[in-house]
Amino acid sequence: MLAVKNLFKAFDSIRAVDGVSFSAQRGKITIIAGADGAGKSTIFKIILGLIKKDRGEIFIDDSPINGNFSRVTDITGYMPERFSLYTDLTVEENMDFFADIQRVETGRKKELKNRLLERTGMLPFRKRRAGALSGGMKQKLALSAILLSSPEVLILDEPTTGVDPLSRIEFFKIMDDLKKEGKTIVMATPYLDEAEKGDFIVFIRKGKNIKQGGIREIKDNFPEKMFRILPAGNIFETLKELNSKKEVRAHFYIRGRYIKCLFSGDSGFLAGIKAKEIREEKPSLEDIYLYYERGVRDD
Amino acid sequence: MIDRSKDFFGDMNDIIVARRLTKRFGHFTAVDAVDFHIKQGEVLGLLGPNGAGKTTTIKMMTGLLRITSGSVWVKGYEVTKNLNKIKKFIGYMSQKFSLYPLLNAYENIEFCGGVSGVPRKIIKEKKELITKEIPREILTQRVKDIPPGIRQRVALFSCLISDPEIILLDEPTSGVDPEVRREFWAKIYDLKKKGKTILVTTHNLDEAEYADRILIIHKGRIILDGEPSELMRAEKAESMERLFRKAVTGHEAN
Repeated sequence: MLAVKNLFKAFDSIRAVDGVSFSAQRGKITIIAGADGAGKSTIFKIILGLIKKDRGEIFIDDSPINGNFSRVTDITGYMPERFSLYTDLTVEENMDFFADIQRVETGRKKELKNRLLERTGMLPFRKRRAGALSGGMKQKLALSAILLSSPEVLILDEPTTGVDPLSRIEFFKIMDDLKKEGKTIVMATPYLDEAEKGDFIVFIRKGKNIKQGGIREIKDNFPEKMFRILPAGNIFETLKELNSKKEVRAHFYIRGRYIKCLFSGDSGFLAGIKAKEIREEKPSLEDIYLYYERGVRDD
Repeated sequence: MIDRSKDFFGDMNDIIVARRLTKRFGHFTAVDAVDFHIKQGEVLGLLGPNGAGKTTTIKMMTGLLRITSGSVWVKGYEVTKNLNKIKKFIGYMSQKFSLYPLLNAYENIEFCGGVSGVPRKIIKEKKELITKEIPREILTQRVKDIPPGIRQRVALFSCLISDPEIILLDEPTSGVDPEVRREFWAKIYDLKKKGKTILVTTHNLDEAEYADRILIIHKGRIILDGEPSELMRAEKAESMERLFRKAVTGHEAN
């Protein structure tokens, strides 16, 4: 549906976007994951024509847009990191305003507005001032507002930053429904536990694409094994013991009462460890991201 | 070690004990007669939706907020009666990292050390210590202009300047990226290794698994208390998110 190829953008000497390509499919969630300042927002702004790119091309349904950004914006709903709601207007008045600037026909406006507020669970709060909403509710109102234009593509820039866990769970339920309707969803996030809910992922670091693909494939083809160790004695002693095994190229970290251990090759070195339990488990996307990040860190 | 007054409810290992701790704001009950204890050397995760009462609970523990009823003891001292004593034991990092945005990192550290009564000589040493970790060019910039990841490190550093035994961190990882989060937790375990007691609130359910024990708080009440993987097993929830959702919706149904 939406694709970018070899995007480049430098701000003076900083290469904000350094050769990024990916494609986002209909009915799928594509996650753009990366640290603060990795270039996620810049990529979105380039796609929308808000920042001029140095090089590269944007494609809609495999055809290059050739500078005609209205081909993107006509079908896209964009939710920037800080979506500007009018804090002195009510939820409903905000929706009316956004419906008007998006030229929703007057006849459809009321029905559409109510339907969207209903689906995001905001209908009971329609008379509340936007300024008096919680972070999670503001985010749902912003989402309702961008859905007014019935976009095929949704570009969401860190939609869940600062949002509490319940609202996040609800937000992803809505995403699931939108996915089923065939929307193309592109979402930036620094939270890799959330990225697990996506279908495709693009790991961005310092403007560069360090790994990308289907989330399941990336997990299945991950070259290292992950073990979870429950030490029998003091966890810090066990960690010290593991770290002292110089011949083993492995990465260890503590997570609660477990030591997590990521390595490739033979697991024989674990045999001598005093543990109540050693279990292999699937690495998380966070483990995977940090693995690739370590691989390129010293560039 | 722990000065047990005769109305103290916890046991010897408990560094913090709350008993029917309650905070009301007008008709709204933010924290509703909660009981909990924190063991010395424990990493405790406090989880809950917005408005659940997490920050209110922490503020009552530090004496920043007046307790409506019930009590909380820190190292055996009842907070309301021993504010000056308990202040020395606690390092508190509030939401949004509580630094002065227009001061630079050094100035923030100096200020924080100064109000905590840390001797000048030690503050100076600490400033040298952080310069080994973070470049001077960044530390001399106004805090509002430095990246969130570094801001968080400076805030944690300031919070630890008086070498407190109990460290209360309110959403320390909000808005920071995966590398910073992983490093942050490594630092927390270093503190635990030194015997510190740490309480962390978070919005990231996935982070709850870093804690030795979690408390899930909802509408001012503690609805779940235990070791994360055991809770998941007991509640037959395959992820922290499931556990959380189950606990919260279960609580609402009652």
